Amino acid sequence: MKFVFSEVAQSFRRNLSMVVSVILVTFISLTFVGTASLLQMQIGEMKNYWYDRAQVAVYMCSDVSASDVCPQGEASEDLKAAVKEKLESNTLSQYIDKFYFEDHEQAYETFQEQFKGNAVAKYVTAQQLNETYWVKLKDATQSQIITESLTGVPGVEEVRDQRSYLDQIFSILNAASLAAIGVAILMLFSAALLISTTIRLSAFSRRRELGIMRLVGSSNFYIQLPFILEGVVAASVGSILAGGAVLAIVQFFVQGYLAERLPFTSFVGLADGLLVVPLLLLAGILLAALASGLAIRRYLRI
Amino acid sequence: MISISNVSKQYKGSARPALNNVSLEVEKGDFVFLVGASGSGKSSLMRLMLREDVPTKGSVHVLGENLVGIPSRRVPFFRRRLGVVFQDFRLLPNKTVAQNVAFSLEVIGKSQGFIQEAVPEVLRLVGLEGKADRLPNELSGGEQQRVALARAIVNKPALLLADEPTGNLDPATSQDIMSLIERINLAGTTVIMATHDRGIVDRLKKRVVELRDGEIIRDQIGGSY
Repeated sequence: MKFVFSEVAQSFRRNLSMVVSVILVTFISLTFVGTASLLQMQIGEMKNYWYDRAQVAVYMCSDVSASDVCPQGEASEDLKAAVKEKLESNTLSQYIDKFYFEDHEQAYETFQEQFKGNAVAKYVTAQQLNETYWVKLKDATQSQIITESLTGVPGVEEVRDQRSYLDQIFSILNAASLAAIGVAILMLFSAALLISTTIRLSAFSRRRELGIMRLVGSSNFYIQLPFILEGVVAASVGSILAGGAVLAIVQFFVQGYLAERLPFTSFVGLADGLLVVPLLLLAGILLAALASGLAIRRYLRI
Repeated sequence: MISISNVSKQYKGSARPALNNVSLEVEKGDFVFLVGASGSGKSSLMRLMLREDVPTKGSVHVLGENLVGIPSRRVPFFRRRLGVVFQDFRLLPNKTVAQNVAFSLEVIGKSQGFIQEAVPEVLRLVGLEGKADRLPNELSGGEQQRVALARAIVNKPALLLADEPTGNLDPATSQDIMSLIERINLAGTTVIMATHDRGIVDRLKKRVVELRDGEIIRDQIGGSY
Protein backbone atom coordinates (compact mmCIF):
# COMPACT_ATOMS: atom_id res chain seq x y z
CA MET A 1 0.00 0.00 0.00
CA LYS A 2 2.88 2.34 0.79
CA PHE A 3 4.05 1.70 -2.74
CA VAL A 4 0.67 2.62 -4.22
CA PHE A 5 0.50 5.94 -2.38
CA SER A 6 4.04 6.95 -3.22
CA GLU A 7 3.26 6.21 -6.88
CA VAL A 8 0.19 8.47 -6.74
CA ALA A 9 2.14 11.28 -5.07
CA GLN A 10 4.94 11.01 -7.59
CA SER A 11 2.53 11.06 -10.50
CA PHE A 12 0.82 14.16 -9.12
CA ARG A 13 4.13 15.99 -9.08
CA ARG A 14 4.85 14.90 -12.63
CA ASN A 15 1.45 15.80 -14.12
CA LEU A 16 0.63 18.79 -11.96
CA SER A 17 -1.02 20.89 -14.67
CA MET A 18 -3.26 18.05 -15.82
CA VAL A 19 -4.23 17.28 -12.24
CA VAL A 20 -5.11 20.92 -11.66
CA SER A 21 -7.28 20.96 -14.77
CA VAL A 22 -9.09 17.80 -13.66
CA ILE A 23 -9.72 19.41 -10.29
CA LEU A 24 -11.06 22.58 -11.90
CA VAL A 25 -13.32 20.86 -14.41
CA THR A 26 -14.87 18.55 -11.81
CA PHE A 27 -15.19 21.51 -9.46
CA ILE A 28 -17.08 23.64 -11.97
CA SER A 29 -19.24 20.88 -13.40
CA LEU A 30 -20.25 19.58 -9.99
CA THR A 31 -21.00 23.11 -8.82
CA PHE A 32 -23.42 23.31 -11.74
CA VAL A 33 -24.97 19.99 -10.76
CA GLY A 34 -25.27 21.11 -7.15
CA THR A 35 -26.79 24.47 -8.03
CA ALA A 36 -29.24 22.87 -10.43
CA SER A 37 -30.41 20.40 -7.81
CA LEU A 38 -30.75 23.20 -5.26
CA LEU A 39 -32.84 25.12 -7.80
CA GLN A 40 -35.07 22.07 -8.15
CA MET A 41 -35.42 21.93 -4.38
CA GLN A 42 -36.21 25.64 -4.35
CA ILE A 43 -38.92 25.17 -6.96
CA GLY A 44 -40.42 22.39 -4.86
CA GLU A 45 -40.33 24.57 -1.78
CA MET A 46 -41.92 27.52 -3.54
CA LYS A 47 -44.61 25.31 -5.04
CA ASN A 48 -45.50 24.08 -1.58
CA TYR A 49 -45.56 27.61 -0.22
CA TRP A 50 -47.49 29.30 -3.00
CA TYR A 51 -49.85 26.51 -3.95
CA ASP A 52 -50.95 26.54 -0.33
CA ARG A 53 -51.83 30.20 -0.60
CA ALA A 54 -53.23 30.08 -4.12
CA GLN A 55 -56.93 30.89 -4.37
CA VAL A 56 -59.58 30.58 -7.05
CA ALA A 57 -60.94 33.93 -8.19
CA VAL A 58 -64.58 34.08 -9.33
CA TYR A 59 -64.69 37.39 -11.23
CA MET A 60 -68.15 38.88 -11.41
CA CYS A 61 -69.30 40.85 -14.43
CA SER A 62 -68.60 44.59 -14.41
CA ASP A 63 -69.61 47.48 -16.66
CA VAL A 64 -66.62 46.98 -18.89
CA SER A 65 -66.91 43.19 -19.30
CA ALA A 66 -67.25 41.81 -22.81
CA SER A 67 -70.93 41.56 -23.74
CA ASP A 68 -70.82 37.99 -24.98
CA VAL A 69 -70.00 36.61 -21.48
CA CYS A 70 -71.86 39.30 -19.59
CA PRO A 71 -74.90 40.27 -21.68
CA GLN A 72 -76.60 41.78 -18.64
CA GLY A 73 -73.65 44.13 -17.83
CA GLU A 74 -72.77 44.70 -14.15
CA ALA A 75 -73.75 41.69 -12.06
CA SER A 76 -76.84 42.48 -10.03
CA GLU A 77 -77.19 41.82 -6.29
CA ASP A 78 -79.41 38.85 -7.12
CA LEU A 79 -76.80 37.26 -9.36
CA LYS A 80 -74.09 37.79 -6.73
CA ALA A 81 -76.31 36.25 -4.12
CA ALA A 82 -76.94 33.28 -6.41
CA VAL A 83 -73.20 32.67 -6.77
CA LYS A 84 -72.74 33.00 -3.01
CA GLU A 85 -75.54 30.48 -2.52
CA LYS A 86 -73.81 28.05 -4.89
CA LEU A 87 -70.53 28.39 -3.00
CA GLU A 88 -72.34 27.71 0.28
CA SER A 89 -74.30 24.78 -1.11
CA ASN A 90 -73.43 21.28 0.06
CA THR A 91 -71.95 20.23 -3.27
CA LEU A 92 -69.28 22.92 -3.27
CA SER A 93 -68.79 23.79 0.39
CA GLN A 94 -67.26 20.40 1.16
CA TYR A 95 -64.27 21.38 -1.01
CA ILE A 96 -64.00 24.96 0.19
CA ASP A 97 -61.94 26.00 3.15
CA LYS A 98 -63.31 29.57 3.13
CA PHE A 99 -64.26 32.29 0.72
CA TYR A 100 -64.85 36.03 0.89
CA PHE A 101 -66.27 38.73 -1.32
CA GLU A 102 -64.26 41.66 -2.60
CA ASP A 103 -66.36 44.59 -3.83
CA HIS A 104 -65.37 47.39 -6.20
CA GLU A 105 -63.97 49.62 -3.46
CA GLN A 106 -61.83 46.88 -1.91
CA ALA A 107 -60.59 45.81 -5.34
CA TYR A 108 -59.69 49.43 -6.06
CA GLU A 109 -57.72 49.73 -2.83
CA THR A 110 -55.82 46.52 -3.50
CA PHE A 111 -55.13 47.66 -7.02
CA GLN A 112 -53.83 51.06 -5.89
CA GLU A 113 -51.65 49.27 -3.35
CA GLN A 114 -50.19 46.85 -5.90
CA PHE A 115 -49.62 49.36 -8.67
CA LYS A 116 -48.43 52.24 -6.50
CA GLY A 117 -46.41 54.68 -8.62
CA ASN A 118 -47.54 53.04 -11.85
CA ALA A 119 -49.29 55.31 -14.37
CA VAL A 120 -52.16 52.86 -14.76
CA ALA A 121 -53.21 53.48 -11.14
CA LYS A 122 -54.30 57.01 -12.05
CA TYR A 123 -56.64 56.02 -14.87
CA VAL A 124 -58.39 53.02 -13.42
CA THR A 125 -61.69 53.55 -11.64
CA ALA A 126 -63.35 51.36 -9.04
CA GLN A 127 -66.14 50.47 -11.46
CA GLN A 128 -63.75 49.01 -13.99
CA LEU A 129 -62.40 46.47 -11.54
CA ASN A 130 -64.26 43.20 -11.08
CA GLU A 131 -66.02 42.32 -7.92
CA THR A 132 -64.64 38.97 -6.94
CA TYR A 133 -65.34 35.95 -4.77
CA TRP A 134 -61.97 34.72 -3.53
CA VAL A 135 -62.22 31.02 -2.82
CA LYS A 136 -59.66 29.15 -0.75
CA LEU A 137 -59.92 25.42 -1.37
CA LYS A 138 -59.17 22.66 1.10
CA ASP A 139 -57.11 20.99 -1.61
CA ALA A 140 -55.65 23.45 -4.10
CA THR A 141 -55.52 20.85 -6.87
CA GLN A 142 -59.33 20.59 -7.01
CA SER A 143 -59.95 23.99 -8.55
CA GLN A 144 -61.52 22.24 -11.52
CA ILE A 145 -64.70 21.66 -9.50
CA ILE A 146 -65.24 25.38 -8.87
CA THR A 147 -64.31 26.28 -12.42
CA GLU A 148 -66.74 23.81 -13.89
CA SER A 149 -69.69 24.61 -11.69
CA LEU A 150 -69.38 28.41 -11.88
CA THR A 151 -68.20 29.07 -15.42
CA GLY A 152 -71.12 30.24 -17.56
CA VAL A 153 -73.31 31.03 -14.55
CA PRO A 154 -75.08 34.35 -15.19
CA GLY A 155 -73.12 37.28 -13.76
CA VAL A 156 -69.80 35.38 -13.63
CA GLU A 157 -67.24 36.74 -16.07
CA GLU A 158 -64.45 34.26 -15.44
CA VAL A 159 -63.24 31.71 -12.93
CA ARG A 160 -59.50 31.69 -12.62
CA ASP A 161 -57.18 29.50 -10.58
CA GLN A 162 -54.20 31.57 -9.40
CA ARG A 163 -52.03 28.51 -9.79
CA SER A 164 -52.15 29.02 -13.54
CA TYR A 165 -50.04 32.18 -13.07
CA LEU A 166 -47.67 30.38 -10.71
CA ASP A 167 -47.24 27.52 -13.14
CA GLN A 168 -45.77 29.90 -15.70
CA ILE A 169 -43.17 31.14 -13.21
CA PHE A 170 -42.36 27.62 -12.13
CA SER A 171 -41.97 26.40 -15.68
CA ILE A 172 -39.46 29.20 -16.33
CA LEU A 173 -37.50 28.26 -13.20
CA ASN A 174 -37.74 24.63 -14.18
CA ALA A 175 -36.37 25.34 -17.65
CA ALA A 176 -33.49 27.26 -16.06
CA SER A 177 -32.60 24.37 -13.80
CA LEU A 178 -32.88 21.90 -16.67
CA ALA A 179 -30.53 24.09 -18.72
CA ALA A 180 -28.09 24.10 -15.80
CA ILE A 181 -28.29 20.31 -15.61
CA GLY A 182 -27.70 20.11 -19.36
CA VAL A 183 -24.57 22.24 -19.08
CA ALA A 184 -23.49 20.17 -16.09
CA ILE A 185 -23.85 16.90 -18.00
CA LEU A 186 -21.81 18.29 -20.86
CA MET A 187 -19.13 19.40 -18.44
CA LEU A 188 -19.15 16.12 -16.56
CA PHE A 189 -18.63 14.38 -19.87
CA SER A 190 -15.64 16.57 -20.64
CA ALA A 191 -14.38 15.97 -17.11
CA ALA A 192 -14.54 12.23 -17.75
CA LEU A 193 -12.64 12.63 -21.01
CA LEU A 194 -10.06 14.84 -19.34
CA ILE A 195 -9.57 12.32 -16.54
CA SER A 196 -9.07 9.49 -18.99
CA THR A 197 -6.58 11.53 -21.01
CA THR A 198 -4.68 12.43 -17.87
CA ILE A 199 -4.55 8.82 -16.79
CA ARG A 200 -3.32 7.70 -20.17
CA LEU A 201 -0.67 10.38 -20.11
CA SER A 202 0.55 9.33 -16.72
CA ALA A 203 0.50 5.68 -17.79
CA PHE A 204 2.63 6.66 -20.74
CA SER A 205 5.14 8.47 -18.57
CA ARG A 206 5.33 5.38 -16.36
CA ARG A 207 5.52 2.86 -19.17
CA ARG A 208 8.91 1.49 -18.07
CA GLU A 209 7.63 0.78 -14.58
CA LEU A 210 4.44 -0.71 -16.01
CA GLY A 211 6.43 -2.97 -18.33
CA ILE A 212 8.48 -4.28 -15.43
CA MET A 213 5.43 -4.67 -13.22
CA ARG A 214 3.76 -6.84 -15.83
CA LEU A 215 6.96 -8.81 -16.34
CA VAL A 216 7.48 -9.68 -12.69
CA GLY A 217 3.83 -10.60 -12.26
CA SER A 218 2.25 -7.64 -10.55
CA SER A 219 -1.48 -8.23 -10.40
CA ASN A 220 -3.85 -6.06 -12.40
CA PHE A 221 -5.19 -4.64 -9.16
CA TYR A 222 -1.73 -3.45 -8.14
CA ILE A 223 -1.02 -2.04 -11.59
CA GLN A 224 -4.30 -0.20 -11.95
CA LEU A 225 -4.89 1.01 -8.43
CA PRO A 226 -2.44 3.96 -8.49
CA PHE A 227 -4.02 5.27 -11.67
CA ILE A 228 -7.57 4.92 -10.44
CA LEU A 229 -6.59 6.54 -7.14
CA GLU A 230 -4.93 9.35 -9.04
CA GLY A 231 -8.17 10.15 -10.86
CA VAL A 232 -10.27 9.66 -7.75
CA VAL A 233 -8.09 11.88 -5.55
CA ALA A 234 -8.07 14.69 -8.13
CA ALA A 235 -11.82 14.45 -8.66
CA SER A 236 -12.45 14.30 -4.90
CA VAL A 237 -10.60 17.55 -4.43
CA GLY A 238 -12.78 19.04 -7.19
CA SER A 239 -15.94 17.62 -5.56
CA ILE A 240 -15.01 18.97 -2.15
CA LEU A 241 -14.46 22.41 -3.69
CA ALA A 242 -17.81 22.11 -5.48
CA GLY A 243 -19.50 21.13 -2.22
CA GLY A 244 -17.93 24.14 -0.53
CA ALA A 245 -19.09 26.39 -3.37
CA VAL A 246 -22.65 25.09 -3.15
CA LEU A 247 -22.73 25.65 0.61
CA ALA A 248 -21.29 29.13 0.13
CA ILE A 249 -23.96 29.93 -2.47
CA VAL A 250 -26.70 28.81 -0.07
CA GLN A 251 -25.23 30.62 2.92
CA PHE A 252 -24.15 33.90 1.37
CA PHE A 253 -26.30 34.36 -1.74
CA VAL A 254 -29.58 32.61 -0.95
CA GLN A 255 -29.80 33.10 2.81
CA GLY A 256 -27.67 36.22 3.03
CA TYR A 257 -28.94 38.12 -0.01
CA LEU A 258 -32.16 36.71 -1.48
CA ALA A 259 -33.84 35.83 1.79
CA GLU A 260 -33.29 39.32 3.16
CA ARG A 261 -34.73 40.99 0.11
CA LEU A 262 -37.67 38.66 -0.39
CA PRO A 263 -38.82 38.04 3.16
CA PHE A 264 -42.12 36.32 2.26
CA THR A 265 -40.55 33.50 0.31
CA SER A 266 -39.15 30.40 1.87
CA PHE A 267 -35.71 29.54 0.52
CA VAL A 268 -33.48 26.48 0.55
CA GLY A 269 -31.20 26.46 3.60
CA LEU A 270 -27.93 24.96 4.67
CA ALA A 271 -29.72 21.73 5.56
CA ASP A 272 -30.69 21.29 1.91
CA GLY A 273 -27.15 22.20 0.86
CA LEU A 274 -25.71 19.59 3.21
CA LEU A 275 -28.01 17.06 1.60
CA VAL A 276 -26.58 17.85 -1.83
CA VAL A 277 -22.87 17.85 -0.88
CA PRO A 278 -22.48 14.09 -0.21
CA LEU A 279 -24.22 13.40 -3.51
CA LEU A 280 -21.71 15.63 -5.30
CA LEU A 281 -18.81 13.85 -3.61
CA LEU A 282 -20.23 10.49 -4.56
CA ALA A 283 -20.85 11.59 -8.15
CA GLY A 284 -17.32 12.98 -8.50
CA ILE A 285 -15.64 9.89 -7.06
CA LEU A 286 -17.77 7.52 -9.10
CA LEU A 287 -17.16 9.46 -12.29
CA ALA A 288 -13.40 9.53 -11.74
CA ALA A 289 -13.17 5.86 -10.80
CA LEU A 290 -15.12 4.86 -13.90
CA ALA A 291 -13.26 7.16 -16.28
CA SER A 292 -9.78 6.29 -15.03
CA GLY A 293 -10.60 2.60 -14.64
CA LEU A 294 -11.79 2.37 -18.23
CA ALA A 295 -8.85 4.41 -19.51
CA ILE A 296 -6.22 2.30 -17.78
CA ARG A 297 -7.93 -0.94 -18.68
CA ARG A 298 -7.76 -0.05 -22.35
CA TYR A 299 -4.15 1.00 -22.01
CA LEU A 300 -2.97 -2.06 -20.13
CA ARG A 301 -4.65 -4.94 -21.87
CA ILE A 302 -2.53 -8.02 -21.16
CA MET B 1 8.58 -28.08 -16.91
CA ILE B 2 7.95 -26.84 -20.45
CA SER B 3 5.92 -28.68 -23.03
CA ILE B 4 5.25 -27.03 -26.36
CA SER B 5 3.47 -29.11 -28.96
CA ASN B 6 2.60 -28.39 -32.58
CA VAL B 7 2.65 -24.67 -32.03
CA SER B 8 2.13 -22.25 -34.90
CA LYS B 9 2.06 -18.50 -34.59
CA GLN B 10 0.82 -16.30 -37.36
CA TYR B 11 0.99 -12.54 -36.83
CA LYS B 12 -1.67 -10.43 -38.48
CA GLY B 13 -0.56 -8.89 -41.73
CA SER B 14 2.37 -11.22 -42.37
CA ALA B 15 2.21 -13.94 -44.98
CA ARG B 16 4.68 -16.38 -43.40
CA PRO B 17 4.02 -17.80 -39.92
CA ALA B 18 6.53 -16.73 -37.25
CA LEU B 19 6.41 -20.26 -35.85
CA ASN B 20 5.39 -23.30 -37.85
CA ASN B 21 4.40 -26.53 -36.07
CA VAL B 22 7.04 -26.26 -33.33
CA SER B 23 7.28 -28.87 -30.57
CA LEU B 24 9.70 -28.71 -27.64
CA GLU B 25 10.05 -30.44 -24.28
CA VAL B 26 12.28 -29.08 -21.52
CA GLU B 27 12.90 -30.92 -18.25
CA LYS B 28 13.46 -29.44 -14.83
CA GLY B 29 17.04 -28.20 -14.39
CA ASP B 30 17.79 -28.16 -18.12
CA PHE B 31 19.87 -25.47 -19.78
CA VAL B 32 18.74 -24.82 -23.34
CA PHE B 33 20.19 -22.44 -25.92
CA LEU B 34 17.80 -21.17 -28.56
CA VAL B 35 19.83 -20.20 -31.60
CA GLY B 36 19.03 -19.00 -35.09
CA ALA B 37 19.18 -15.94 -37.29
CA SER B 38 17.11 -12.83 -36.60
CA GLY B 39 13.51 -13.51 -37.56
CA SER B 40 13.87 -17.26 -37.11
CA GLY B 41 11.24 -17.28 -34.36
CA LYS B 42 13.34 -17.28 -31.16
CA SER B 43 11.66 -14.23 -29.73
CA SER B 44 8.20 -15.43 -30.74
CA LEU B 45 8.85 -18.65 -28.87
CA MET B 46 10.06 -16.74 -25.78
CA ARG B 47 6.96 -14.56 -25.89
CA LEU B 48 4.73 -17.64 -25.92
CA MET B 49 6.53 -19.06 -22.87
CA LEU B 50 6.05 -15.73 -21.07
CA ARG B 51 2.40 -15.65 -22.07
CA GLU B 52 2.94 -12.30 -23.77
CA ASP B 53 1.26 -13.95 -26.74
CA VAL B 54 -0.93 -16.96 -27.38
CA PRO B 55 -0.26 -19.33 -30.29
CA THR B 56 -2.52 -19.44 -33.32
CA LYS B 57 -2.44 -23.25 -33.10
CA GLY B 58 -1.06 -25.83 -30.69
CA SER B 59 -0.57 -25.92 -26.93
CA VAL B 60 1.94 -24.36 -24.54
CA HIS B 61 2.42 -25.69 -21.01
CA VAL B 62 4.92 -23.94 -18.73
CA LEU B 63 5.40 -24.71 -15.01
CA GLY B 64 2.24 -26.78 -15.08
CA GLU B 65 0.09 -23.98 -16.50
CA ASN B 66 -1.75 -24.33 -19.78
CA LEU B 67 -0.84 -20.95 -21.25
CA VAL B 68 -3.44 -21.12 -24.01
CA GLY B 69 -6.41 -21.48 -21.70
CA ILE B 70 -5.16 -19.57 -18.63
CA PRO B 71 -7.52 -16.76 -17.62
CA SER B 72 -5.82 -13.38 -17.85
CA ARG B 73 -6.21 -12.66 -14.13
CA ARG B 74 -4.04 -15.71 -13.38
CA VAL B 75 -1.26 -14.59 -15.75
CA PRO B 76 0.46 -12.33 -13.18
CA PHE B 77 0.64 -15.20 -10.70
CA PHE B 78 2.15 -17.42 -13.37
CA ARG B 79 4.79 -14.78 -14.16
CA ARG B 80 5.82 -14.57 -10.50
CA ARG B 81 7.13 -18.10 -10.82
CA LEU B 82 9.63 -17.32 -13.55
CA GLY B 83 12.38 -14.78 -14.10
CA VAL B 84 13.19 -12.88 -17.28
CA VAL B 85 16.20 -10.92 -18.50
CA PHE B 86 16.64 -9.03 -21.74
CA GLN B 87 19.38 -7.65 -23.92
CA ASP B 88 18.46 -4.07 -22.89
CA PHE B 89 18.42 -4.78 -19.10
CA ARG B 90 15.16 -2.84 -18.56
CA LEU B 91 16.18 -1.15 -15.32
CA LEU B 92 14.46 1.93 -13.92
CA PRO B 93 16.93 4.80 -14.39
CA ASN B 94 15.70 6.85 -11.43
CA LYS B 95 15.99 4.03 -8.90
CA THR B 96 19.14 2.68 -7.29
CA VAL B 97 20.31 -0.91 -7.73
CA ALA B 98 18.67 -2.00 -4.49
CA GLN B 99 15.48 -0.07 -5.29
CA ASN B 100 15.28 -1.66 -8.73
CA VAL B 101 15.36 -5.12 -7.19
CA ALA B 102 13.06 -4.12 -4.34
CA PHE B 103 10.57 -2.63 -6.83
CA SER B 104 9.88 -6.01 -8.38
CA LEU B 105 9.05 -7.38 -4.93
CA GLU B 106 7.00 -4.38 -3.80
CA VAL B 107 4.72 -4.58 -6.81
CA ILE B 108 3.83 -8.19 -6.10
CA GLY B 109 2.94 -7.26 -2.55
CA LYS B 110 5.91 -8.71 -0.62
CA SER B 111 6.37 -7.43 2.92
CA GLN B 112 9.05 -4.87 3.77
CA GLY B 113 10.66 -7.41 6.07
CA PHE B 114 11.02 -9.93 3.27
CA ILE B 115 12.37 -7.26 0.91
CA GLN B 116 14.97 -6.04 3.39
CA GLU B 117 16.26 -9.55 3.74
CA ALA B 118 16.03 -10.76 0.14
CA VAL B 119 17.53 -7.78 -1.68
CA PRO B 120 21.02 -7.70 -0.06
CA GLU B 121 21.18 -11.47 -0.28
CA VAL B 122 20.51 -11.58 -4.02
CA LEU B 123 22.87 -8.65 -4.65
CA ARG B 124 25.61 -10.59 -2.88
CA LEU B 125 24.77 -13.60 -5.05
CA VAL B 126 25.28 -11.63 -8.28
CA GLY B 127 28.41 -9.88 -6.93
CA LEU B 128 27.02 -6.37 -6.45
CA GLU B 129 27.11 -6.12 -2.67
CA GLY B 130 29.05 -2.84 -2.67
CA LYS B 131 26.90 -1.13 -5.30
CA ALA B 132 23.43 -1.25 -3.82
CA ASP B 133 23.07 2.54 -3.77
CA ARG B 134 24.34 3.26 -7.28
CA LEU B 135 22.06 4.37 -10.09
CA PRO B 136 21.99 2.25 -13.25
CA ASN B 137 23.79 4.88 -15.34
CA GLU B 138 26.72 4.75 -12.91
CA LEU B 139 27.22 1.06 -13.67
CA SER B 140 28.89 -0.78 -16.53
CA GLY B 141 26.79 -2.84 -18.92
CA GLY B 142 27.81 -6.06 -17.23
CA GLU B 143 26.87 -4.70 -13.84
CA GLN B 144 23.51 -3.52 -15.15
CA GLN B 145 22.80 -7.01 -16.46
CA ARG B 146 23.73 -8.39 -13.04
CA VAL B 147 21.09 -6.11 -11.53
CA ALA B 148 18.58 -7.41 -14.06
CA LEU B 149 19.56 -10.98 -13.17
CA ALA B 150 19.25 -10.21 -9.48
CA ARG B 151 15.75 -8.87 -10.13
CA ALA B 152 14.87 -11.97 -12.15
CA ILE B 153 15.96 -14.47 -9.50
CA VAL B 154 15.16 -12.63 -6.27
CA ASN B 155 11.83 -14.43 -6.13
CA LYS B 156 13.58 -17.82 -6.55
CA PRO B 157 11.92 -18.76 -9.84
CA ALA B 158 11.87 -22.31 -11.19
CA LEU B 159 12.52 -21.03 -14.71
CA LEU B 160 14.75 -18.28 -16.08
CA LEU B 161 14.07 -16.96 -19.57
CA ALA B 162 16.99 -14.97 -20.99
CA ASP B 163 16.54 -13.18 -24.31
CA GLU B 164 20.06 -12.44 -25.62
CA PRO B 165 21.35 -11.40 -22.19
CA THR B 166 24.88 -10.88 -23.53
CA GLY B 167 23.85 -9.09 -26.72
CA ASN B 168 25.05 -5.70 -25.49
CA LEU B 169 28.17 -6.88 -23.67
CA ASP B 170 31.79 -7.37 -24.62
CA PRO B 171 33.16 -10.97 -24.64
CA ALA B 172 34.88 -10.81 -21.24
CA THR B 173 31.81 -9.36 -19.54
CA SER B 174 29.61 -11.85 -21.37
CA GLN B 175 31.68 -14.63 -19.84
CA ASP B 176 31.08 -13.26 -16.32
CA ILE B 177 27.34 -13.09 -16.95
CA MET B 178 27.35 -16.62 -18.39
CA SER B 179 29.12 -18.07 -15.36
CA LEU B 180 26.51 -16.35 -13.19
CA ILE B 181 23.70 -17.86 -15.27
CA GLU B 182 25.37 -21.26 -15.06
CA ARG B 183 25.51 -20.94 -11.27
CA ILE B 184 21.83 -20.10 -11.23
CA ASN B 185 21.19 -23.18 -13.36
CA LEU B 186 23.29 -25.38 -11.06
CA ALA B 187 21.19 -24.20 -8.12
CA GLY B 188 18.23 -25.91 -9.84
CA THR B 189 16.69 -23.23 -11.99
CA THR B 190 15.79 -24.26 -15.53
CA VAL B 191 17.34 -21.82 -18.05
CA ILE B 192 16.17 -21.06 -21.58
CA MET B 193 18.47 -18.62 -23.30
CA ALA B 194 18.10 -17.18 -26.78
CA THR B 195 21.46 -16.04 -28.15
CA HIS B 196 23.51 -15.13 -31.20
CA ASP B 197 26.79 -15.62 -29.39
CA ARG B 198 28.59 -18.52 -31.10
CA GLY B 199 31.46 -18.52 -28.58
CA ILE B 200 29.26 -18.97 -25.57
CA VAL B 201 27.21 -21.79 -27.09
CA ASP B 202 30.30 -23.66 -28.25
CA ARG B 203 32.06 -23.35 -24.91
CA LEU B 204 29.19 -24.37 -22.62
CA LYS B 205 28.23 -27.54 -24.51
CA LYS B 206 24.58 -27.46 -23.47
CA ARG B 207 21.44 -28.50 -25.27
CA VAL B 208 21.02 -26.43 -28.45
CA VAL B 209 17.73 -25.86 -30.24
CA GLU B 210 18.13 -24.20 -33.62
CA LEU B 211 15.29 -22.40 -35.35
CA ARG B 212 15.08 -21.39 -38.97
CA ASP B 213 12.07 -19.71 -40.61
CA GLY B 214 9.88 -20.63 -37.69
CA GLU B 215 10.76 -24.32 -37.57
CA ILE B 216 13.05 -26.32 -35.30
CA ILE B 217 15.76 -27.75 -37.53
CA ARG B 218 18.05 -29.10 -34.80
CA ASP B 219 17.69 -30.19 -31.17
CA GLN B 220 21.04 -31.47 -29.95
CA ILE B 221 22.32 -32.29 -26.45
CA GLY B 222 25.85 -30.96 -25.87
CA GLY B 223 25.75 -29.19 -29.22
CA SER B 224 27.53 -26.20 -30.64
CA TYR B 225 26.25 -23.20 -32.60
